[in-house]
Amino acid sequence: MADIEIEIDGNIINAKAGEMLIAVTDREGISVPRFCYHKKLSIAANCRMCLVDVEGAPKPQPACSTPISDGMKIHTQNDKAKASQKAVMEFLLINHPLDCPICDQGGECELQDVAMDHGSDVSRFTEGKRIVADSDIGALIQTDMTRCIHCTRCVRFGAEVAGIMEMGGTGRGEDMKIEPFLAEGIQSELSGNMIDVCPVGALTSKPFRYELRSWQMNAVSNVARHDLVGSNIYTQTYKGRVKRIVAKDNESVNETWISDRDRFSYEGLSHENRLLVPKIKVEGAWQEVEWNVALDFAVRGLEKNVRQADQLGALSSNTATLEEFYLLQKILRGTGSENIDHRLNVKDIDNTISLESNIKLAGLEGVDHALVIGSNLRLEQPMINHRLRKASLSGASIDVINAMAFDFNYRINSENIIAPNQTALTLASILKSVLKSAHTEVPEYLGNAEVTEIATQLANQLTDSDNSVIILGEHVINNPQALSISNLISEIAQKTNSTILNVSATANSMAAGLAHFVPGKGGLDVNAMLAANLNAYILLDIYPQYDFHHSVQAIEALSNDDTFVISLNSFKDDVVSEYSDVLLPIASFYETSGSHVNVEGKVQSFTAAVNAPSDAKPAWKVLKVLADLLELPGFHYADSMQVTSEIMHKSYKQHVHDENIDITVKRGVNVIWQKSPYAVDVLSRHAVSLQDTKIGQINSASMNKATAKKLEITQGDNYLGVPVSISESVANSCVFVNANHAIRGQS
Amino acid sequence: MNEVCFKTLDQKDPWSLKTYEANGGYSVWRKILKGEFTPEQIIDELKTSGLRGRGGAGFPTGLKWSFMPRNADMQKYVVCNSDEGEPGTCKDRDILRYNPHSVIEGMAIGGFVMNATKGYNYIRGEFMEPFYRFEGALKEAYAEGLLGENLYDSSVSFDLYTHLGAGAYICGEETALLESLEGKKGQPRFKPPFPANVGLFGMPTTINNTESFASVPDILAKGGQWFADIGVENSGGCKLFSVTGHVNEPANFEVPMGTSFKDLLEMAGGVREGHTLKAVIPGGSSTPVLTAEAAMAMTMDYDGIEKAGSMLGAGSVIIMDDSTCMVETLTRLAHFYYDESCGQCTPCREGTGWLYRVLKRIMDGNGKADDIDLLMGVQDKIMGNTICALGDAAAMPVESFLRNFRKEFEYYIEHGKSMVKG
Repeated sequence: MADIEIEIDGNIINAKAGEMLIAVTDREGISVPRFCYHKKLSIAANCRMCLVDVEGAPKPQPACSTPISDGMKIHTQNDKAKASQKAVMEFLLINHPLDCPICDQGGECELQDVAMDHGSDVSRFTEGKRIVADSDIGALIQTDMTRCIHCTRCVRFGAEVAGIMEMGGTGRGEDMKIEPFLAEGIQSELSGNMIDVCPVGALTSKPFRYELRSWQMNAVSNVARHDLVGSNIYTQTYKGRVKRIVAKDNESVNETWISDRDRFSYEGLSHENRLLVPKIKVEGAWQEVEWNVALDFAVRGLEKNVRQADQLGALSSNTATLEEFYLLQKILRGTGSENIDHRLNVKDIDNTISLESNIKLAGLEGVDHALVIGSNLRLEQPMINHRLRKASLSGASIDVINAMAFDFNYRINSENIIAPNQTALTLASILKSVLKSAHTEVPEYLGNAEVTEIATQLANQLTDSDNSVIILGEHVINNPQALSISNLISEIAQKTNSTILNVSATANSMAAGLAHFVPGKGGLDVNAMLAANLNAYILLDIYPQYDFHHSVQAIEALSNDDTFVISLNSFKDDVVSEYSDVLLPIASFYETSGSHVNVEGKVQSFTAAVNAPSDAKPAWKVLKVLADLLELPGFHYADSMQVTSEIMHKSYKQHVHDENIDITVKRGVNVIWQKSPYAVDVLSRHAVSLQDTKIGQINSASMNKATAKKLEITQGDNYLGVPVSISESVANSCVFVNANHAIRGQS
Repeated sequence: MNEVCFKTLDQKDPWSLKTYEANGGYSVWRKILKGEFTPEQIIDELKTSGLRGRGGAGFPTGLKWSFMPRNADMQKYVVCNSDEGEPGTCKDRDILRYNPHSVIEGMAIGGFVMNATKGYNYIRGEFMEPFYRFEGALKEAYAEGLLGENLYDSSVSFDLYTHLGAGAYICGEETALLESLEGKKGQPRFKPPFPANVGLFGMPTTINNTESFASVPDILAKGGQWFADIGVENSGGCKLFSVTGHVNEPANFEVPMGTSFKDLLEMAGGVREGHTLKAVIPGGSSTPVLTAEAAMAMTMDYDGIEKAGSMLGAGSVIIMDDSTCMVETLTRLAHFYYDESCGQCTPCREGTGWLYRVLKRIMDGNGKADDIDLLMGVQDKIMGNTICALGDAAAMPVESFLRNFRKEFEYYIEHGKSMVKG
């Protein structure tokens, strides 16, 4: 890659012409101090800390904004460079409060580190120091702006990465303040990254405030499981508790950033609602017991109730690890049952999305066109949205087909707000337009579709792009024509040479697929199981009122007197207590080893950062012992990695649907039901600070005036238990429910 | 005297198109529209003329114009910097008031040379009268068909817009001016890239000072050599000097480069009766102060002033007589830079306030023996370490005041009062 030679501190170094000097010194391991420079943000050159001596230049040059050229001779350590660095250091410290003993950044502060190298031990500054009033910018970020050194990393992060310029520099000279422009504070779903980029203690984690020093904690590499990305993180722990989460670099997954959901959900781990002790229900009353008693009770219950193998069912939430999915299905199949499912939120399993993604996360930045269907991508999959935003910034056009207008943080080329019952027809029009312009035969099922102007535009965008992607989101899973939509997208993608990104099932649902956690031949899917009155269930971390689409029927079915229910749960839940016969406390996120499978199929394994609290155990261990007690063969695992490698040696084929495509418009009001962004799983629902953000409070059933009139409801009413919000941004005949039934309480 | 920018000064309605054209105005522009000039010819003439940027940096104008990628297939801009804010300077104000058409013609010529079809004149926010004069001249030029598209059926187009600033000194720095013109907060950009490559709205842009543009038409009408011959070696032409301070008749004077300071002082009526010359800031408050002796031996051209220990800058000559307390003067200047620092980069944001506070403390009678060393140290740490020249501009007066008039500072610190004023 080298095409020029430069000399740094007397050493010849190969580099590319035009690279910034600091990129070269960083690569070569030459230490140049800096504050404003950040590899993922634009160059600001405002802190002046990276000044170095470039031969021939009269003034010292900032390494961050000096493009290199052939033969350049640079001194990073000579008297001139050191004098400049020392000078800047002194200026940075004169108005800095030097309140390190009470500053949360102490010990992980770039200013502290650089001051150790380049600062003086005595200050010559005897005038009064600047004091800056703080502004309350929300539940997640604590401000101490007197400590701010005006590097503008947070400002640039907002403008360039988060896509909303929430922080800015107001005033000028000494009075320049970094503060939010709006009184409502910071609202980005990526806001916590500002804490990571802030080199000083001006922006720190509010939930973590005054908790610990960074050196007191262990940092354990981990993987976040709230979405389809599997962002890499460090769980920082102290005395067996997760105290903070920060981003870990992984260029192909999450680059340098993580979402607020991944960063702050750990608070839920110490919520008072954790299930801590195994319990058995004897004659209707709960007894706290030892693990062996509970497991014996469970095994005896199964033996007693499951007279035929197919009377047992296993259901799991989508947050389970790959290994947990695998072991639970292995138990079921070991006992002879194929009643296995994780698709609890799907209304009709035979009529839902089955599309495989065929694009990498990093590849998403390179697309020149995207068609997003049925997704509020920014809040559903923040890091995937970030990749798409990067594509948009480099010129990609982005079209949207949604039932409601959402606040995207990039320019949308064509936003089409279409009622769910029109989605299939719209896609059919697009497909027809694609086929027509390619002079290909139009199949019979597209006969009724009229090629509208909009459809032609959307079709042409896909056809004319070299590298387009179709992104399918959560809102479509329960569309009455979901399967047709799925098949139409597949056809369109094939005909337009587009890739597909299916983000309709989130969390660790890809792992469920990999572990074959779906019914096999003769097995029942989730809805069939509930209708079939099975005699026994093993449920893995399920909270029925949140997780099931048919939650009322589910609770009813599980509550049958003659149904024996073994529940493995990480949190307490009244409804679960009501129908269960055994409650086995399991480890939550970061308390177990396991694997996450992300949207591109990448398997990322992690270890437990802490032990589960009290008597709770990792679910994979519980399942292994349960299998042993059931005397099932093949469960001799010493650790979860053995399970992982066993899974990787098997390969399962997903069941492929091949039905007819139905594009007729079904009349009636369609409801799209979605958990709000910070209520997607049991852990995030218990994360107190996340619930105090604006995103955390999203809880509304949105519909337009006409729909409200049809349903005879008004603003202020409740619809399915969720407050009604009348908005013309929703398509006709559609109710968009974003429900947040967060559990509030003490951490 | 008054041969170029001020040549219409003594005539009736010097700002009018009629007066301007009666003095040969727009003859060059009309020749260009007839195809009688090539961009290369114009750049050559400018190089011959020795015209250097009149805003303060003194960069050769011909060379600057030759840097523009004139054939690049994108919008290019010509910008005139009329954000005249340097303390002591008021020359561009009078060019805009009395000879606005020379600026318009100069900018139009620049547009032709650089293949830029759009120009902006960024005028200092407080300059209401010059703003209206310039706007009036623009109207006249448009009415006469001298500005607009495909002028006189040629392929040449040039549109010119006026933009009034909002009163920030920093916006006189060319890249801060561009930011401000784009509607952003006025903060200098780091360089490279330079405006010639990435300028206004990210497009190639040439920025010149008002006086530089105003000098261009005459240079091309009469030839580069004619202009060069007015001045001295390395400082072609004549230059406007704003002579202010303790003189009897403060005014703007357009005199040949190389005129002696003594003569210039004479033109301004000399120092006040009963006083003697004490100090001179020759190029605006950002340039080093000179003692009377050094000033009296100096000629007013780039090399002459540099030899004396300062810089020609924008030609803003501030005269101080023996009634001036140098501590007080420097404190006032330090306050100016402290107040006008944009706050973007560290040394200037923190350093200008530090300088001012130490000086203020001395003025308050709380000076300490090592304050002079401290001030020297702080200015030295600002110097050369900032994004733009404001840092240097704040540092240079401190260094030169302390070097040339150290005794006054020592006296103030020791006695808690002024050596001059008591």
